[in-house]
Amino acid sequence: MGLLGGIYAIWLREVKRALRDRGQLIGGVSRPLLWVLIMGIGLNPYFRGEVFGEVRFVVPYTYLQFIFPAIIVLNIMYTSVQSAVSVIWDREFGFLREVLVSPMPRWAILFGKILGGTTIAVMHGCLVLVLARFTDVPMAWSTVFEALGWMTLLAFGLTSFGVIIANRIRSFEGFGVFSNAVILPLYFTSSSVFPLDPALTRAQTLVVYPEWLVFLVEANPLTYAVDALRGVFLNFNQFDPALGPIIMTAMAVGFFLLALWDFRKA
Amino acid sequence: MTGTEAPRPAIVVEHLSKRYGRMLALDDVSLSVGANDMFALLGPNGAGKTTLIHILCTILAPDGGSASVAGFDVKKQAVKARRNIGVVFQEPSLDDRLTAYENLNFHGLVYQVGGAERKQRITEMLELVELSDWRDKLVRTFSSGMKRRLEIARALLHNPRILFLDEPTVGLDAQSRERIWAYLDQLRRQRELCIVVTTHYIEEVENCDRVCIIDHGKILADGTPDALKAAHGSELVRVTPRDKAAAEAIRERYPDAKDGHGGTLVLAVDDVNFIDGFLASFGTRVSQVSLDRPSLESVFLSLTGRELRDKGADEQDRMRAAGRRAGRR
Repeated sequence: MGLLGGIYAIWLREVKRALRDRGQLIGGVSRPLLWVLIMGIGLNPYFRGEVFGEVRFVVPYTYLQFIFPAIIVLNIMYTSVQSAVSVIWDREFGFLREVLVSPMPRWAILFGKILGGTTIAVMHGCLVLVLARFTDVPMAWSTVFEALGWMTLLAFGLTSFGVIIANRIRSFEGFGVFSNAVILPLYFTSSSVFPLDPALTRAQTLVVYPEWLVFLVEANPLTYAVDALRGVFLNFNQFDPALGPIIMTAMAVGFFLLALWDFRKA
Repeated sequence: MTGTEAPRPAIVVEHLSKRYGRMLALDDVSLSVGANDMFALLGPNGAGKTTLIHILCTILAPDGGSASVAGFDVKKQAVKARRNIGVVFQEPSLDDRLTAYENLNFHGLVYQVGGAERKQRITEMLELVELSDWRDKLVRTFSSGMKRRLEIARALLHNPRILFLDEPTVGLDAQSRERIWAYLDQLRRQRELCIVVTTHYIEEVENCDRVCIIDHGKILADGTPDALKAAHGSELVRVTPRDKAAAEAIRERYPDAKDGHGGTLVLAVDDVNFIDGFLASFGTRVSQVSLDRPSLESVFLSLTGRELRDKGADEQDRMRAAGRRAGRR
Protein backbone atom coordinates (compact mmCIF):
# COMPACT_ATOMS: atom_id res chain seq x y z
CA MET A 1 0.00 0.00 0.00
CA GLY A 2 0.96 3.59 0.40
CA LEU A 3 3.14 4.87 -2.37
CA LEU A 4 3.18 1.52 -4.17
CA GLY A 5 -0.62 1.62 -4.28
CA GLY A 6 -0.46 5.01 -5.97
CA ILE A 7 2.09 3.85 -8.53
CA TYR A 8 -0.06 0.78 -9.12
CA ALA A 9 -3.13 3.00 -9.69
CA ILE A 10 -1.32 5.10 -12.29
CA TRP A 11 0.11 1.99 -13.96
CA LEU A 12 -3.29 0.29 -13.99
CA ARG A 13 -4.94 3.33 -15.56
CA GLU A 14 -2.37 3.42 -18.37
CA VAL A 15 -2.80 -0.26 -19.10
CA LYS A 16 -6.61 -0.12 -19.01
CA ARG A 17 -6.74 2.89 -21.27
CA ALA A 18 -4.37 1.32 -23.77
CA LEU A 19 -6.29 -1.94 -23.84
CA ARG A 20 -9.51 -0.02 -24.47
CA ASP A 21 -7.93 2.00 -27.28
CA ARG A 22 -8.85 -0.03 -30.31
CA GLY A 23 -6.80 2.10 -32.69
CA GLN A 24 -3.62 1.41 -30.78
CA LEU A 25 -4.33 -2.32 -30.71
CA ILE A 26 -5.00 -2.41 -34.43
CA GLY A 27 -1.69 -0.69 -35.05
CA GLY A 28 0.10 -3.07 -32.72
CA VAL A 29 -1.25 -6.10 -34.57
CA SER A 30 -1.16 -4.87 -38.15
CA ARG A 31 2.35 -3.39 -38.06
CA PRO A 32 4.18 -6.68 -37.41
CA LEU A 33 1.91 -8.48 -39.87
CA LEU A 34 2.76 -6.00 -42.63
CA TRP A 35 6.46 -5.92 -41.90
CA VAL A 36 6.89 -9.65 -41.49
CA LEU A 37 4.40 -11.11 -43.93
CA ILE A 38 4.56 -8.54 -46.72
CA MET A 39 7.86 -6.70 -46.56
CA GLY A 40 9.83 -9.53 -44.96
CA ILE A 41 8.58 -12.37 -47.12
CA GLY A 42 8.58 -10.14 -50.19
CA LEU A 43 12.21 -9.05 -49.90
CA ASN A 44 13.47 -12.35 -48.55
CA PRO A 45 14.66 -13.83 -51.89
CA TYR A 46 16.54 -10.66 -52.89
CA PHE A 47 18.55 -10.32 -49.71
CA ARG A 48 21.32 -12.70 -50.71
CA GLY A 49 23.33 -10.85 -53.29
CA GLU A 50 24.29 -12.81 -56.37
CA VAL A 51 27.45 -11.41 -57.91
CA PHE A 52 28.60 -12.95 -61.19
CA GLY A 53 26.87 -16.24 -60.50
CA GLU A 54 28.44 -16.52 -57.09
CA VAL A 55 26.06 -16.29 -54.13
CA ARG A 56 27.65 -14.02 -51.62
CA PHE A 57 25.89 -13.71 -48.29
CA VAL A 58 25.77 -10.19 -46.97
CA VAL A 59 24.86 -11.53 -43.59
CA PRO A 60 24.53 -15.22 -42.90
CA TYR A 61 20.77 -14.99 -42.37
CA THR A 62 17.59 -14.60 -44.37
CA TYR A 63 16.02 -11.17 -44.62
CA LEU A 64 13.11 -12.31 -42.46
CA GLN A 65 15.47 -13.39 -39.74
CA PHE A 66 17.44 -10.21 -40.16
CA ILE A 67 14.55 -7.77 -39.77
CA PHE A 68 12.60 -9.76 -37.18
CA PRO A 69 14.40 -8.23 -34.17
CA ALA A 70 14.06 -4.78 -35.75
CA ILE A 71 10.28 -5.19 -36.07
CA ILE A 72 10.12 -5.90 -32.34
CA VAL A 73 11.96 -2.64 -31.76
CA LEU A 74 9.61 -0.85 -34.17
CA ASN A 75 6.50 -2.06 -32.41
CA ILE A 76 7.92 -1.18 -29.00
CA MET A 77 8.92 2.25 -30.23
CA TYR A 78 5.50 3.05 -31.68
CA THR A 79 3.67 1.96 -28.56
CA SER A 80 6.06 3.61 -26.13
CA VAL A 81 5.86 6.94 -27.85
CA GLN A 82 2.10 6.62 -28.23
CA SER A 83 1.67 5.96 -24.51
CA ALA A 84 3.95 8.82 -23.63
CA VAL A 85 2.04 11.16 -25.87
CA SER A 86 -1.03 10.58 -23.68
CA VAL A 87 0.73 13.00 -21.30
CA ILE A 88 -0.43 15.69 -23.71
CA TRP A 89 -4.03 14.49 -23.49
CA ASP A 90 -3.84 14.35 -19.71
CA ARG A 91 -2.63 17.92 -19.72
CA GLU A 92 -5.22 19.17 -22.21
CA PHE A 93 -8.15 17.35 -20.65
CA GLY A 94 -7.32 18.22 -17.08
CA PHE A 95 -6.65 14.77 -15.68
CA LEU A 96 -3.07 15.75 -14.91
CA ARG A 97 -4.40 18.21 -12.33
CA GLU A 98 -6.16 15.45 -10.45
CA VAL A 99 -2.81 13.71 -10.06
CA LEU A 100 -0.73 16.81 -9.38
CA VAL A 101 -2.97 17.91 -6.52
CA SER A 102 -2.71 14.47 -4.90
CA PRO A 103 -0.14 13.65 -2.20
CA MET A 104 1.83 11.49 -4.66
CA PRO A 105 5.38 12.75 -5.24
CA ARG A 106 6.16 13.75 -8.80
CA TRP A 107 8.73 11.02 -9.38
CA ALA A 108 6.18 8.35 -8.40
CA ILE A 109 3.57 9.81 -10.77
CA LEU A 110 6.04 9.79 -13.63
CA PHE A 111 7.38 6.35 -12.74
CA GLY A 112 3.87 4.83 -12.70
CA LYS A 113 3.07 6.48 -16.01
CA ILE A 114 6.24 5.28 -17.71
CA LEU A 115 5.88 1.81 -16.22
CA GLY A 116 2.37 1.63 -17.70
CA GLY A 117 3.65 2.67 -21.13
CA THR A 118 6.48 0.17 -20.82
CA THR A 119 4.08 -2.65 -20.05
CA ILE A 120 1.93 -1.94 -23.08
CA ALA A 121 4.97 -1.55 -25.31
CA VAL A 122 6.41 -4.89 -24.20
CA MET A 123 3.02 -6.48 -24.82
CA HIS A 124 3.05 -5.09 -28.34
CA GLY A 125 6.60 -6.35 -28.71
CA CYS A 126 5.31 -9.80 -27.79
CA LEU A 127 2.78 -9.57 -30.61
CA VAL A 128 5.81 -9.68 -32.92
CA LEU A 129 7.29 -12.65 -31.07
CA VAL A 130 4.16 -14.61 -31.91
CA LEU A 131 5.15 -14.36 -35.59
CA ALA A 132 8.56 -15.91 -34.97
CA ARG A 133 7.60 -19.20 -36.56
CA PHE A 134 6.99 -17.49 -39.93
CA THR A 135 10.51 -16.11 -39.87
CA ASP A 136 12.59 -19.17 -39.02
CA VAL A 137 13.87 -17.51 -35.90
CA PRO A 138 14.55 -20.19 -33.31
CA MET A 139 12.64 -19.44 -30.13
CA ALA A 140 13.70 -21.23 -26.98
CA TRP A 141 12.16 -20.14 -23.69
CA SER A 142 15.52 -18.93 -22.44
CA THR A 143 15.78 -16.73 -25.54
CA VAL A 144 12.29 -15.36 -24.93
CA PHE A 145 13.06 -14.44 -21.33
CA GLU A 146 16.34 -12.82 -22.20
CA ALA A 147 14.64 -10.89 -24.99
CA LEU A 148 11.83 -9.79 -22.67
CA GLY A 149 14.40 -8.33 -20.29
CA TRP A 150 16.01 -6.19 -22.99
CA MET A 151 12.63 -5.29 -24.48
CA THR A 152 11.48 -3.99 -21.10
CA LEU A 153 14.62 -1.95 -20.63
CA LEU A 154 14.29 -0.52 -24.14
CA ALA A 155 10.58 0.22 -23.71
CA PHE A 156 11.23 2.05 -20.45
CA GLY A 157 13.85 4.23 -22.13
CA LEU A 158 11.69 4.92 -25.16
CA THR A 159 8.60 5.77 -23.09
CA SER A 160 10.70 8.21 -21.06
CA PHE A 161 11.97 9.63 -24.33
CA GLY A 162 8.37 10.04 -25.51
CA VAL A 163 7.44 11.85 -22.31
CA ILE A 164 10.33 14.26 -22.82
CA ILE A 165 9.08 15.11 -26.31
CA ALA A 166 5.47 15.35 -25.14
CA ASN A 167 6.45 17.77 -22.38
CA ARG A 168 8.07 20.07 -24.90
CA ILE A 169 5.16 20.15 -27.26
CA ARG A 170 2.68 22.96 -26.78
CA SER A 171 0.30 22.30 -29.60
CA PHE A 172 -0.68 18.82 -30.55
CA GLU A 173 -1.45 18.06 -34.18
CA GLY A 174 -2.00 14.36 -33.81
CA PHE A 175 0.11 11.29 -33.59
CA GLY A 176 1.02 11.25 -37.28
CA VAL A 177 3.57 13.98 -36.65
CA PHE A 178 5.38 11.79 -34.15
CA SER A 179 5.27 8.85 -36.45
CA ASN A 180 6.79 10.76 -39.36
CA ALA A 181 9.16 13.06 -37.50
CA VAL A 182 10.46 10.82 -34.74
CA ILE A 183 9.67 7.15 -35.00
CA LEU A 184 10.27 6.32 -38.65
CA PRO A 185 13.53 8.30 -39.06
CA LEU A 186 14.94 6.64 -35.95
CA TYR A 187 13.76 3.26 -37.14
CA PHE A 188 15.16 3.45 -40.64
CA THR A 189 18.56 4.65 -39.49
CA SER A 190 18.97 1.92 -36.91
CA SER A 191 20.33 -0.65 -39.37
CA SER A 192 16.93 -2.23 -39.08
CA VAL A 193 16.09 -2.80 -42.73
CA PHE A 194 19.58 -2.96 -44.22
CA PRO A 195 22.80 -4.27 -42.74
CA LEU A 196 26.12 -2.59 -42.37
CA ASP A 197 28.04 -5.70 -43.26
CA PRO A 198 30.38 -6.45 -40.35
CA ALA A 199 32.64 -8.49 -42.64
CA LEU A 200 33.59 -5.33 -44.48
CA THR A 201 36.24 -3.01 -43.21
CA ARG A 202 35.22 0.54 -42.47
CA ALA A 203 36.80 1.71 -45.69
CA GLN A 204 34.82 -0.88 -47.63
CA THR A 205 31.60 0.08 -45.85
CA LEU A 206 32.12 3.68 -46.88
CA VAL A 207 32.48 2.54 -50.46
CA VAL A 208 29.15 0.69 -50.29
CA TYR A 209 27.24 3.40 -48.43
CA PRO A 210 27.58 7.20 -48.35
CA GLU A 211 29.42 8.46 -45.32
CA TRP A 212 26.46 10.44 -43.91
CA LEU A 213 24.29 7.34 -43.81
CA VAL A 214 26.92 5.31 -42.03
CA PHE A 215 27.31 8.18 -39.59
CA LEU A 216 23.55 8.33 -38.94
CA VAL A 217 23.34 4.61 -38.33
CA GLU A 218 26.28 4.62 -35.98
CA ALA A 219 25.04 7.67 -34.08
CA ASN A 220 21.54 6.30 -33.61
CA PRO A 221 21.27 4.65 -30.18
CA LEU A 222 18.51 2.38 -31.47
CA THR A 223 21.05 0.72 -33.77
CA TYR A 224 22.57 -0.87 -30.72
CA ALA A 225 19.18 -1.93 -29.29
CA VAL A 226 18.34 -3.67 -32.57
CA ASP A 227 21.80 -5.18 -32.57
CA ALA A 228 21.37 -6.47 -29.01
CA LEU A 229 18.11 -8.22 -29.93
CA ARG A 230 19.77 -9.71 -33.02
CA GLY A 231 22.40 -11.02 -30.68
CA VAL A 232 19.75 -12.67 -28.52
CA PHE A 233 17.72 -14.22 -31.33
CA LEU A 234 20.29 -14.94 -34.05
CA ASN A 235 23.55 -14.79 -32.19
CA PHE A 236 24.57 -12.22 -34.77
CA ASN A 237 26.01 -8.83 -33.89
CA GLN A 238 27.09 -6.15 -36.30
CA PHE A 239 28.64 -4.11 -33.52
CA ASP A 240 30.40 -4.78 -30.25
CA PRO A 241 27.86 -6.91 -28.27
CA ALA A 242 28.66 -5.00 -25.08
CA LEU A 243 27.37 -1.75 -26.57
CA GLY A 244 23.69 -2.76 -26.73
CA PRO A 245 23.10 -3.33 -23.00
CA ILE A 246 25.18 -0.29 -22.05
CA ILE A 247 23.34 2.04 -24.41
CA MET A 248 19.88 0.69 -23.50
CA THR A 249 20.61 1.11 -19.79
CA ALA A 250 21.96 4.58 -20.38
CA MET A 251 18.81 5.49 -22.35
CA ALA A 252 16.48 4.17 -19.64
CA VAL A 253 18.25 5.98 -16.81
CA GLY A 254 19.15 9.13 -18.71
CA PHE A 255 15.77 9.70 -20.35
CA PHE A 256 13.90 8.96 -17.12
CA LEU A 257 15.97 11.51 -15.21
CA LEU A 258 15.54 14.09 -17.94
CA ALA A 259 11.78 13.45 -18.05
CA LEU A 260 11.64 13.81 -14.27
CA TRP A 261 13.56 17.06 -14.40
CA ASP A 262 11.05 18.40 -16.96
CA PHE A 263 8.09 17.13 -14.99
CA ARG A 264 9.22 18.74 -11.74
CA LYS A 265 9.32 22.12 -13.42
CA ALA A 266 5.88 21.74 -14.94
CA MET B 1 -19.13 36.52 11.28
CA THR B 2 -21.31 33.55 12.09
CA GLY B 3 -20.08 32.81 15.60
CA THR B 4 -19.41 29.20 14.65
CA GLU B 5 -15.80 30.11 13.99
CA ALA B 6 -13.58 27.28 15.18
CA PRO B 7 -10.58 28.29 17.27
CA ARG B 8 -8.21 27.16 14.51
CA PRO B 9 -9.20 28.37 11.06
CA ALA B 10 -9.04 25.91 8.16
CA ILE B 11 -7.45 28.41 5.84
CA VAL B 12 -5.23 31.36 6.61
CA VAL B 13 -4.02 33.61 3.84
CA GLU B 14 -1.68 36.49 4.53
CA HIS B 15 -0.60 39.19 2.08
CA LEU B 16 -0.70 36.81 -0.84
CA SER B 17 0.31 38.10 -4.24
CA LYS B 18 0.76 36.54 -7.65
CA ARG B 19 1.78 38.11 -10.90
CA TYR B 20 1.48 36.81 -14.46
CA GLY B 21 3.86 38.87 -16.52
CA ARG B 22 2.69 42.43 -16.02
CA MET B 23 -0.75 41.48 -14.76
CA LEU B 24 -1.27 41.34 -11.03
CA ALA B 25 -3.59 38.39 -10.50
CA LEU B 26 -3.59 38.62 -6.71
CA ASP B 27 -2.76 41.84 -4.93
CA ASP B 28 -2.02 41.56 -1.20
CA VAL B 29 -4.88 39.22 -0.36
CA SER B 30 -5.47 38.28 3.28
CA LEU B 31 -8.31 36.21 4.66
CA SER B 32 -9.12 33.35 6.97
CA VAL B 33 -11.82 30.71 6.74
CA GLY B 34 -13.26 28.75 9.67
CA ALA B 35 -13.19 24.96 9.85
CA ASN B 36 -16.91 24.61 9.30
CA ASP B 37 -17.56 27.55 6.99
CA MET B 38 -19.17 27.60 3.61
CA PHE B 39 -17.07 30.31 2.05
CA ALA B 40 -17.80 31.84 -1.33
CA LEU B 41 -15.37 33.73 -3.52
CA LEU B 42 -17.40 35.93 -5.77
CA GLY B 43 -16.04 37.86 -8.70
CA PRO B 44 -16.13 38.21 -12.47
CA ASN B 45 -13.95 36.14 -14.78
CA GLY B 46 -10.31 37.04 -14.41
CA ALA B 47 -10.80 38.46 -10.92
CA GLY B 48 -8.19 36.14 -9.44
CA LYS B 49 -10.49 33.53 -7.90
CA THR B 50 -8.98 30.57 -9.70
CA THR B 51 -5.46 31.82 -9.05
CA LEU B 52 -6.23 31.94 -5.35
CA ILE B 53 -7.74 28.45 -5.39
CA HIS B 54 -4.75 27.07 -7.26
CA ILE B 55 -2.37 28.53 -4.72
CA LEU B 56 -4.42 27.07 -1.87
CA CYS B 57 -4.40 23.69 -3.65
CA THR B 58 -0.57 23.88 -3.75
CA ILE B 59 -0.32 23.57 -7.52
CA LEU B 60 0.67 27.18 -8.05
CA ALA B 61 3.39 28.95 -6.11
CA PRO B 62 2.60 32.45 -4.86
CA ASP B 63 5.06 35.29 -5.54
CA GLY B 64 4.67 36.78 -2.10
CA GLY B 65 2.90 36.30 1.19
CA SER B 66 1.91 33.02 2.80
CA ALA B 67 -1.02 30.65 2.89
CA SER B 68 -1.83 27.62 4.99
CA VAL B 69 -4.58 25.05 4.62
CA ALA B 70 -5.55 22.71 7.46
CA GLY B 71 -2.60 24.14 9.36
CA PHE B 72 0.00 23.28 6.71
CA ASP B 73 1.94 25.81 4.72
CA VAL B 74 1.14 25.42 1.02
CA LYS B 75 4.75 25.93 0.01
CA LYS B 76 6.73 24.09 2.67
CA GLN B 77 4.29 21.32 3.62
CA ALA B 78 2.52 20.85 0.31
CA VAL B 79 2.12 17.07 0.60
CA LYS B 80 0.56 17.25 4.07
CA ALA B 81 -1.72 20.03 2.92
CA ARG B 82 -2.81 17.95 -0.09
CA ARG B 83 -3.94 15.06 2.08
CA ASN B 84 -6.44 17.36 3.75
CA ILE B 85 -8.01 18.95 0.73
CA GLY B 86 -10.41 17.79 -1.94
CA VAL B 87 -10.53 19.76 -5.16
CA VAL B 88 -13.05 20.10 -7.96
CA PHE B 89 -11.38 22.08 -10.70
CA GLN B 90 -13.12 24.37 -13.10
CA GLU B 91 -12.26 22.15 -16.07
CA PRO B 92 -13.39 18.55 -15.78
CA SER B 93 -10.51 16.31 -14.71
CA LEU B 94 -12.01 12.84 -14.90
CA ASP B 95 -10.61 10.12 -17.10
CA ASP B 96 -13.54 9.52 -19.39
CA ARG B 97 -12.20 6.23 -20.67
CA LEU B 98 -12.52 4.77 -17.21
CA THR B 99 -15.75 3.90 -15.41
CA ALA B 100 -17.08 5.89 -12.46
CA TYR B 101 -15.82 3.20 -10.11
CA GLU B 102 -12.39 3.11 -11.72
CA ASN B 103 -12.03 6.87 -11.44
CA LEU B 104 -12.89 6.76 -7.74
CA ASN B 105 -10.70 3.73 -7.12
CA PHE B 106 -7.80 5.49 -8.80
CA HIS B 107 -8.30 8.47 -6.53
CA GLY B 108 -8.52 6.27 -3.44
CA LEU B 109 -5.28 4.48 -4.31
CA VAL B 110 -3.43 7.68 -5.08
CA TYR B 111 -4.61 9.21 -1.79
CA GLN B 112 -3.64 6.00 0.00
CA VAL B 113 -7.06 5.10 1.33
CA GLY B 114 -6.85 1.48 2.57
CA GLY B 115 -8.58 -1.39 0.73
CA ALA B 116 -11.76 -2.07 2.73
CA GLU B 117 -12.27 1.57 3.62
CA ARG B 118 -11.78 2.55 -0.01
CA LYS B 119 -14.52 0.23 -1.22
CA GLN B 120 -16.89 1.45 1.45
CA ARG B 121 -16.17 5.12 0.77
CA ILE B 122 -16.68 4.62 -2.97
CA THR B 123 -20.10 3.10 -2.34
CA GLU B 124 -21.04 5.88 0.07
CA MET B 125 -19.91 8.68 -2.19
CA LEU B 126 -21.65 7.24 -5.26
CA GLU B 127 -24.80 7.10 -3.18
CA LEU B 128 -24.39 10.69 -2.03
CA VAL B 129 -24.27 11.98 -5.59
CA GLU B 130 -26.90 9.50 -6.80
CA LEU B 131 -24.66 7.71 -9.25
CA SER B 132 -24.72 4.21 -7.75
CA ASP B 133 -26.47 2.85 -10.82
CA TRP B 134 -23.76 4.27 -13.05
CA ARG B 135 -20.89 2.75 -11.13
CA ASP B 136 -19.58 0.59 -13.96
CA LYS B 137 -20.39 2.86 -16.89
CA LEU B 138 -17.66 4.67 -18.78
CA VAL B 139 -17.50 8.34 -17.81
CA ARG B 140 -17.53 9.41 -21.46
CA THR B 141 -21.21 8.42 -21.56
CA PHE B 142 -22.06 10.81 -18.68
CA SER B 143 -23.74 14.20 -19.03
CA SER B 144 -21.81 17.23 -17.78
CA GLY B 145 -23.97 17.37 -14.66
CA MET B 146 -23.21 13.75 -13.85
CA LYS B 147 -19.51 14.32 -14.42
CA ARG B 148 -19.56 17.21 -11.99
CA ARG B 149 -21.33 15.11 -9.38
CA LEU B 150 -18.80 12.35 -9.83
CA GLU B 151 -15.99 14.86 -9.40
CA ILE B 152 -17.52 16.00 -6.13
CA ALA B 153 -17.79 12.39 -4.98
CA ARG B 154 -14.17 11.90 -5.91
CA ALA B 155 -12.96 15.01 -4.13
CA LEU B 156 -14.62 13.80 -0.93
CA LEU B 157 -13.44 10.20 -1.15
CA HIS B 158 -10.40 10.62 1.07
CA ASN B 159 -12.34 12.49 3.76
CA PRO B 160 -10.74 15.89 3.31
CA ARG B 161 -11.21 18.67 5.85
CA ILE B 162 -11.47 21.29 3.17
CA LEU B 163 -13.29 21.05 -0.13
CA PHE B 164 -12.42 23.47 -2.91
CA LEU B 165 -14.91 23.90 -5.71
CA ASP B 166 -13.88 26.15 -8.57
CA GLU B 167 -16.99 27.20 -10.47
CA PRO B 168 -18.70 23.87 -9.78
CA THR B 169 -21.93 24.78 -11.49
CA VAL B 170 -20.74 26.61 -14.57
CA GLY B 171 -22.27 25.26 -17.76
CA LEU B 172 -24.81 23.12 -15.93
CA ASP B 173 -28.57 23.29 -16.24
CA ALA B 174 -30.61 24.68 -13.36
CA GLN B 175 -31.61 21.27 -12.08
CA SER B 176 -28.05 19.96 -11.88
CA ARG B 177 -26.95 23.15 -10.18
CA GLU B 178 -29.62 22.79 -7.55
CA ARG B 179 -28.67 19.18 -6.92
CA ILE B 180 -25.04 20.02 -6.41
CA TRP B 181 -25.90 22.61 -3.80
CA ALA B 182 -28.21 20.12 -2.11
CA TYR B 183 -25.38 17.57 -1.81
CA LEU B 184 -23.12 20.17 -0.30
CA ASP B 185 -25.78 21.15 2.25
CA GLN B 186 -26.34 17.52 3.12
CA LEU B 187 -22.63 16.96 3.64
CA ARG B 188 -22.25 19.90 5.94
CA ARG B 189 -25.03 18.62 8.12
CA GLN B 190 -23.24 15.28 8.48
CA ARG B 191 -19.76 16.38 9.39
CA GLU B 192 -17.43 19.29 9.91
CA LEU B 193 -16.28 20.43 6.50
CA CYS B 194 -14.92 23.67 5.23
CA ILE B 195 -16.14 24.41 1.73
CA VAL B 196 -14.58 27.07 -0.43
CA VAL B 197 -16.49 27.75 -3.59
CA THR B 198 -15.93 30.23 -6.39
CA THR B 199 -18.75 31.26 -8.59
CA HIS B 200 -20.05 34.07 -10.63
CA TYR B 201 -23.66 33.04 -10.13
CA ILE B 202 -24.65 35.50 -7.46
CA GLU B 203 -27.85 33.74 -6.43
CA GLU B 204 -25.80 30.70 -5.46
CA VAL B 205 -23.89 32.42 -2.72
CA GLU B 206 -26.87 33.74 -0.80
CA ASN B 207 -26.86 30.74 1.53
CA CYS B 208 -23.12 30.68 2.13
CA ASP B 209 -21.83 31.61 5.59
CA ARG B 210 -19.39 34.10 4.22
CA VAL B 211 -18.91 35.84 0.96
CA CYS B 212 -15.73 37.44 -0.22
CA ILE B 213 -16.00 39.74 -3.19
CA ILE B 214 -12.87 39.88 -5.26
CA ASP B 215 -12.02 41.86 -8.36
CA HIS B 216 -8.75 42.67 -10.11
CA GLY B 217 -6.96 40.50 -7.54
CA LYS B 218 -8.14 42.54 -4.59
CA ILE B 219 -10.61 41.73 -1.85
CA LEU B 220 -13.32 44.37 -1.94
CA ALA B 221 -15.53 43.06 0.85
CA ASP B 222 -15.73 40.06 3.13
CA GLY B 223 -18.62 39.12 5.43
CA THR B 224 -21.92 37.30 5.75
CA PRO B 225 -24.35 37.94 2.91
CA ASP B 226 -26.57 39.94 5.30
CA ALA B 227 -23.72 42.03 6.60
CA LEU B 228 -22.59 42.79 3.07
CA LYS B 229 -26.08 43.82 2.04
CA ALA B 230 -26.41 46.04 5.07
CA ALA B 231 -23.06 47.68 4.52
CA HIS B 232 -22.90 48.07 0.76
CA GLY B 233 -26.29 47.29 -0.63
CA SER B 234 -28.85 49.85 -1.52
CA GLU B 235 -32.16 49.76 -3.22
CA LEU B 236 -31.66 50.16 -6.90
CA VAL B 237 -33.87 51.32 -9.68
CA ARG B 238 -33.25 49.74 -13.04
CA VAL B 239 -34.60 51.74 -15.95
CA THR B 240 -34.62 51.17 -19.70
CA PRO B 241 -34.43 54.49 -21.57
CA ARG B 242 -36.50 54.69 -24.76
CA ASP B 243 -33.67 56.17 -26.79
CA LYS B 244 -30.13 57.56 -26.65
CA ALA B 245 -31.30 61.06 -25.89
CA ALA B 246 -33.29 59.86 -22.90
CA ALA B 247 -30.27 57.93 -21.64
CA GLU B 248 -28.14 61.06 -21.99
CA ALA B 249 -30.68 63.16 -20.12
CA ILE B 250 -30.88 60.65 -17.28
CA ARG B 251 -27.13 60.50 -17.03
CA GLU B 252 -26.95 64.25 -16.87
CA ARG B 253 -29.43 64.42 -14.01
CA TYR B 254 -27.99 61.42 -12.16
CA PRO B 255 -24.25 61.38 -12.74
CA ASP B 256 -23.94 58.32 -10.48
CA ALA B 257 -25.98 56.17 -12.87
CA LYS B 258 -24.24 52.93 -13.72
CA ASP B 259 -24.56 50.78 -16.83
CA GLY B 260 -26.57 47.62 -16.37
CA HIS B 261 -26.88 44.84 -18.90
CA GLY B 262 -29.00 45.19 -21.99
CA GLY B 263 -28.73 48.97 -22.23
CA THR B 264 -30.32 49.60 -18.85
CA LEU B 265 -29.22 52.23 -16.38
CA VAL B 266 -29.02 51.49 -12.70
CA LEU B 267 -29.66 54.25 -10.18
CA ALA B 268 -29.16 54.09 -6.44
CA VAL B 269 -32.24 54.98 -4.40
CA ASP B 270 -31.09 57.55 -1.88
CA ASP B 271 -34.35 58.72 -0.37
CA VAL B 272 -38.01 57.74 -0.19
CA ASN B 273 -39.14 60.29 -2.76
CA PHE B 274 -36.59 59.19 -5.32
CA ILE B 275 -38.96 57.17 -7.48
CA ASP B 276 -41.62 59.85 -7.54
CA GLY B 277 -39.04 62.42 -8.55
CA PHE B 278 -37.63 60.23 -11.24
CA LEU B 279 -40.97 59.33 -12.75
CA ALA B 280 -42.11 62.93 -12.74
CA SER B 281 -39.15 63.94 -14.88
CA PHE B 282 -38.54 60.88 -17.01
CA GLY B 283 -41.72 58.80 -16.77
CA THR B 284 -42.49 59.22 -20.45
CA ARG B 285 -38.97 58.64 -21.66
CA VAL B 286 -38.33 55.17 -20.22
CA SER B 287 -39.92 51.94 -21.34
CA GLN B 288 -39.35 49.99 -18.16
CA VAL B 289 -38.67 50.69 -14.51
CA SER B 290 -37.97 48.06 -11.90
CA LEU B 291 -36.93 48.15 -8.30
CA ASP B 292 -34.20 45.90 -6.91
CA ARG B 293 -34.24 45.06 -3.22
CA PRO B 294 -30.77 45.04 -1.66
CA SER B 295 -29.13 41.89 -2.96
CA LEU B 296 -25.60 40.71 -3.37
CA GLU B 297 -25.96 41.79 -6.95
CA SER B 298 -26.41 45.37 -5.83
CA VAL B 299 -23.57 44.98 -3.35
CA PHE B 300 -21.37 43.84 -6.17
CA LEU B 301 -22.48 46.67 -8.38
CA SER B 302 -21.82 49.30 -5.80
CA LEU B 303 -18.39 47.87 -4.98
CA THR B 304 -17.09 47.27 -8.48
CA GLY B 305 -19.11 49.77 -10.46
CA ARG B 306 -20.40 47.10 -12.81
CA GLU B 307 -22.60 44.10 -12.89
CA LEU B 308 -21.18 40.69 -12.30
CA ARG B 309 -22.34 38.98 -15.44
CA ASP B 310 -21.83 41.99 -17.57
CA LYS B 311 -18.19 41.35 -18.10
CA GLY B 312 -17.87 39.24 -21.22
CA ALA B 313 -16.40 35.83 -20.86
CA ASP B 314 -12.83 35.72 -22.04
CA GLU B 315 -11.96 33.64 -25.08
CA GLN B 316 -10.94 30.52 -23.19
CA ASP B 317 -14.11 30.60 -21.15
CA ARG B 318 -16.30 30.85 -24.16
CA MET B 319 -14.55 27.91 -25.77
CA ARG B 320 -14.97 25.92 -22.61
CA ALA B 321 -18.62 26.76 -22.43
CA ALA B 322 -19.07 25.77 -26.04
CA GLY B 323 -17.44 22.46 -25.32
CA ARG B 324 -19.96 21.73 -22.65
CA ARG B 325 -23.45 20.66 -23.26
CA ALA B 326 -26.08 22.18 -21.03
CA GLY B 327 -27.31 25.68 -21.66
CA ARG B 328 -26.14 28.70 -19.79
CA ARG B 329 -28.34 31.28 -21.38
